[in-house]
Amino acid sequence: MSAEMPTVRLGVLRKSYRVGESSIEALKGVSLDVGGGEMVALTGPSGSGKSTLLNLCGLIDTPDSGSRELCGTALDSLDELSLTRLRREKVGFIFQGFNLVPVMTVYDNVEYPLLLLGVAPAERRRRVLEVLGRVGLEPFALRLPDALSGGQRQRVAIARALIKAPALVIADEPTANLDSATARQIVDLLHELAHERNASVVVATHDERMSSHCDRVVHLIDGELQ
Amino acid sequence: MKWLVFAWKNVMRNRRRSLTAMLITAFGTAAVLASGGFALFTYESLEEMTARDSGHVVVAHARGFEGDEDVPLQHGLADATGLAAKFAALPGVRAVAPRVQFSGLISNGDKSAVFVGSGVVPEIDFRLRGPQMNFSAGQSPASNAPAPEVVIGDELARLMKAKVGSSLTLLATTTEGNLNAVDVVVSGIAGVGVPEIDKRLVLADLASVQRLLLSDKVGTLSIYLKETADTEAVAARVRELQPDLAVKTWRDLAVFYQAVRALYNRIFGILGVIMICIVLFAMSNTLGMAVVERTREIGTLRAIGTLPSEVVRNFVFEGMVIGGAGAVAGMVLAGGATVALLFAGIEMPPPPGRSVGYPLFLSFSPLLYGAVTLVVVTLAAAAAWMVSRRAANKPVTEALAHV
Ligand SMILES: Nc1ncnc2c1ncn2[C@@H]1O[C@H](COP(=O)(O)OP(=O)(O)OP(=O)(O)O)[C@@H](O)[C@H]1O
Ligand SMILES: [Mg+2]
Repeated sequence: MSAEMPTVRLGVLRKSYRVGESSIEALKGVSLDVGGGEMVALTGPSGSGKSTLLNLCGLIDTPDSGSRELCGTALDSLDELSLTRLRREKVGFIFQGFNLVPVMTVYDNVEYPLLLLGVAPAERRRRVLEVLGRVGLEPFALRLPDALSGGQRQRVAIARALIKAPALVIADEPTANLDSATARQIVDLLHELAHERNASVVVATHDERMSSHCDRVVHLIDGELQ
Repeated sequence: MKWLVFAWKNVMRNRRRSLTAMLITAFGTAAVLASGGFALFTYESLEEMTARDSGHVVVAHARGFEGDEDVPLQHGLADATGLAAKFAALPGVRAVAPRVQFSGLISNGDKSAVFVGSGVVPEIDFRLRGPQMNFSAGQSPASNAPAPEVVIGDELARLMKAKVGSSLTLLATTTEGNLNAVDVVVSGIAGVGVPEIDKRLVLADLASVQRLLLSDKVGTLSIYLKETADTEAVAARVRELQPDLAVKTWRDLAVFYQAVRALYNRIFGILGVIMICIVLFAMSNTLGMAVVERTREIGTLRAIGTLPSEVVRNFVFEGMVIGGAGAVAGMVLAGGATVALLFAGIEMPPPPGRSVGYPLFLSFSPLLYGAVTLVVVTLAAAAAWMVSRRAANKPVTEALAHV
């Protein structure tokens, strides 16, 4: 990937939701580039379209119109299977509600993306232990998510998102369920790990501290960028 | 392997629900295995019964099975002794029993009744029939007795008010079309357990019957084998040796066996279909609930790059874990019942048209157990596939928004 090529390139995205008879225009022509290794904060009032934009950016939803590129690949004509494969290789997700698999141990949750990618067992083990060390959860490797605090769970989620060294990490309000001290640690950790792995991050947040850590803050109001 | 471990963990997530599906599957499997084992046991018993009655392979004159003779033994076998010796030399043959079927009237002086009889070589025949011929009094006829001896059916004995030692007269049409009579002494009273047969049954010494019919031919040669499984092979050899003769196997002659088999196959077939429905229903119910509960998890896995087919595969594994465990439990149940019945000594009531019951045993067939397990696990997998397909293909955002 050349330095000047952005990881994500979104051109005039529109998306509306049908609610009964009427339809809500959640995005009214949003264009955004995110550079390699760049961390972008997406702010805006509730209902302004942050989650909608993140879903389009993270390839789990499709726009009504507009163009999308990820690492130079145009996405407009790709089917769901190809998009899934792209997500598998290039996109990590961090959710507000952690979304760990409850029957899998911390270790298994973090290892899962590498299983999907068919990484060899020894290499998997090395990388899982390495990233668990980085998020400070090595001693908890064999615990189930239920036995962890919210902050610890979100650290597992960060490890799961970053273990495959994705080009892009999507985080939708990753600190909203955490107290402020824990939130700060999570912000620092996400920032550090993404930076180390040269992953671009788009994070939707209400949190001032979060946006202050980011390279750029983008403000969304009523489906339009300010 | 890892995926199976995850499947197992997911199955254990809601133990009670999974256990319920497992138990339903287990009982369904056990029911099919037990009824299948019962059907097999019945088939085997009837096979043995019919083979003991008719012999495994029956040889007659080319037109001997057609039943359109004008006079007795018109289509009989002339050189019975030579043929019998030839067949007895074939590998796998235990014995060859010459027989003459004949019928006529039996009389005690006051009243007479129709009989259907066989002329047999007692030393050979009664040994081969074994426990099938159930003597209530007396014994088999002796071929060198001063007066010809007969065994008569217990129903017929009642009609004729005959006891062992009673004198009766047999009246039959000879090969020349005239009537002939012979005085006989009852040496034994026996039954095969079918009232329709037992009220007409007469078994007499072959030589006496030939004298009565004025012929030295026999009607059929019944070839008894050491192993029932050799039937077709021996029948083929006999046809090769004697292309001029008609050859039938016990299976061709076993009308009752065929009828029971057709009936049981239908009954147990329907039972099987019902079990299939129940297992499918239980499985799709259990897994369907799991799928709904885990919709958000499916969304998460899909978001981080799991293909819909991989999501479905995981549920299929879960179905197979539940189905497999249920099938194993079902096999243990059915196997236990099979062993227990060996010692329980439970008698079944007489089948239609019969007067004696039979012991309730179940046959154990590895093939049946294997096939049923395969079907159950496949059904479980199919149910899992059906109920998870939709959720796995749901738009990711929709699945993630599921509460
Ligand atoms: N699945 C949906 N069906 C209908 N309308 C929707 C759906 N998802 C979002 N919307 C609407 O689209 C608009 C943008 O929603 P979105 O979730 O993107 O906002 P947001 O900025 O993420 O808000 P929040 O800060 O509360 O998470 C809102 O008006 C919302 O009601
Ligand atoms: Mg939102």
